[in-house]
Amino acid sequence: MKFSLQTLLNVEGNGYGLLNVRIFGWILYGLTRRDVLVPSEILRQMIRIGVQALPMASLVALSVGFILAMQSSTELGKLGANSFIPDLVSLSLMRELGPLLIAIIVVGRSGSAVAAEIGTMKVNEEIEALRVMAIPPVRYLVIPRYIALMIMLPCLTIFGNCVGLAGGWAVCASTLGMTTSFFIEHAVHRPELWDLYSGLIKSVVFAHILITTACYQGLSVEGGADGVGRATTNAVVYAILWIIIADALLTGLFFFVL
Amino acid sequence: MKSTASTSPSDIILEVKDLVQVYGKRPVLNGINFQVRKGETFVIMGGSGCGKTTLLRILIGAQRPTSGSVHIFGEDITTASPQELDRIRLRFGMNFQFGALFQSMTVGENIALPLQEHSQVDPSLIEMVVKMKLELVGLTGFENFKPSEISGGMRKRVGLARALALDPELLFSDEPTSGLDPVMTAVVDQLTLDSTRKIGVTAVVVSHDMTSCFRIATRMLMLGSGSRQGEIVAEGTPAEIKANPDPFLQQFIRGEADGPIPFRLSQDDYLKHLLGDG
Repeated sequence: MKFSLQTLLNVEGNGYGLLNVRIFGWILYGLTRRDVLVPSEILRQMIRIGVQALPMASLVALSVGFILAMQSSTELGKLGANSFIPDLVSLSLMRELGPLLIAIIVVGRSGSAVAAEIGTMKVNEEIEALRVMAIPPVRYLVIPRYIALMIMLPCLTIFGNCVGLAGGWAVCASTLGMTTSFFIEHAVHRPELWDLYSGLIKSVVFAHILITTACYQGLSVEGGADGVGRATTNAVVYAILWIIIADALLTGLFFFVL
Repeated sequence: MKSTASTSPSDIILEVKDLVQVYGKRPVLNGINFQVRKGETFVIMGGSGCGKTTLLRILIGAQRPTSGSVHIFGEDITTASPQELDRIRLRFGMNFQFGALFQSMTVGENIALPLQEHSQVDPSLIEMVVKMKLELVGLTGFENFKPSEISGGMRKRVGLARALALDPELLFSDEPTSGLDPVMTAVVDQLTLDSTRKIGVTAVVVSHDMTSCFRIATRMLMLGSGSRQGEIVAEGTPAEIKANPDPFLQQFIRGEADGPIPFRLSQDDYLKHLLGDG
């Protein structure tokens, strides 16, 4: 196993596909050796990429909760179906809006930061210095960020869902006279466990797209400051583009197949 | 430690054979051959755009040449696998032109990084080695400073300390004195001399600072540019280089604006360039 993994890790080239191969190779290799995955560095990245994005993610989720409740109340109210607002807010957040909007916020905040940081390191020859010191840049720079985001984005999504529900509850309780117990009963009991899981599966896929795109763009920087700027823009644009495409594909898969 | 006539294969640390690097149709290096023996301070000189940096990138394995070979410690790095290359890289250090220090780390963490990655020693011992390396480059007490908080000359010295962290047998240095004042240039030169003469490290230094080159070199090589792009103009000890009558070399040593290395295009070339034929 060791030989095949080493071969995998040492494939030459710089494409996006190869970056993915190297990431999986290093994670598998890290499971067999203690010094490859450094918990302290992963934790540091979890705080930088995930925890520090919490206020912004919360604000967005809260706003989405407000919007969903207000928009649905105007139409459902005409049908006398205001009691379904908690169900709608809850299902929309868990299945779709929670994972998608939190991912987009994290792309803008952390994805761009990762691309700019790695890109600047490339321009300053820091990546070259790592290679000359026989420290693989993917293992040293990409893996901690990758693992950190794969853990933190689903966590942020769950947290965002809760904050979004609070936003929906605030609207229902203040303007529609809905009791808190009624809101909780409908918002929590109506969705099935699969609704939560499907959102989390999406969130994991989005995390993969986000961090690999950001790291790839950072590692591909050529030139000086303009190169870093271009990489940062590309990281945000391509990550959002592929996240939305992946969302459509996954929703189709869950809708038609599962 | 002066250059010796010994040609024992075990003495040869670095050997470059028929090295060619072509960018598009333009040959930057064209059949370069030289050897560096143990204990030497080998200086590679040349004007801007002559291919010094390209040559250095090939020597450290950051770039594959178009053809030719580079043997370091007897192993060809141009055909080595990344795994083999990493093994060879543990035996040499590289001092980058601008230090290439990790901005997010302190000076001490920068020097400690190769030790943490490649040695199994206790953190307290690493801390001690960091202090020793900082003392070696005259920066005792700067462990907790960030690279952005120290001067350019200090950054170059930290880069040197990091390159020497694993006690390499071979040290590559890219323009170690560019942009430094004369005093700091002398300090960096003295550090290079200390590393080579006292510690016994073999050094390959790329530079176009002539004062510095003659101060530290035991052997020198000059790469050509312009009409002599890609070829070796001269190679020898500092005394041999000074005595070499090659006008190209002498213009470079004296730092004259015009000569075989033209300041402007010739009248014919200028006309061709204006008319779009050149």
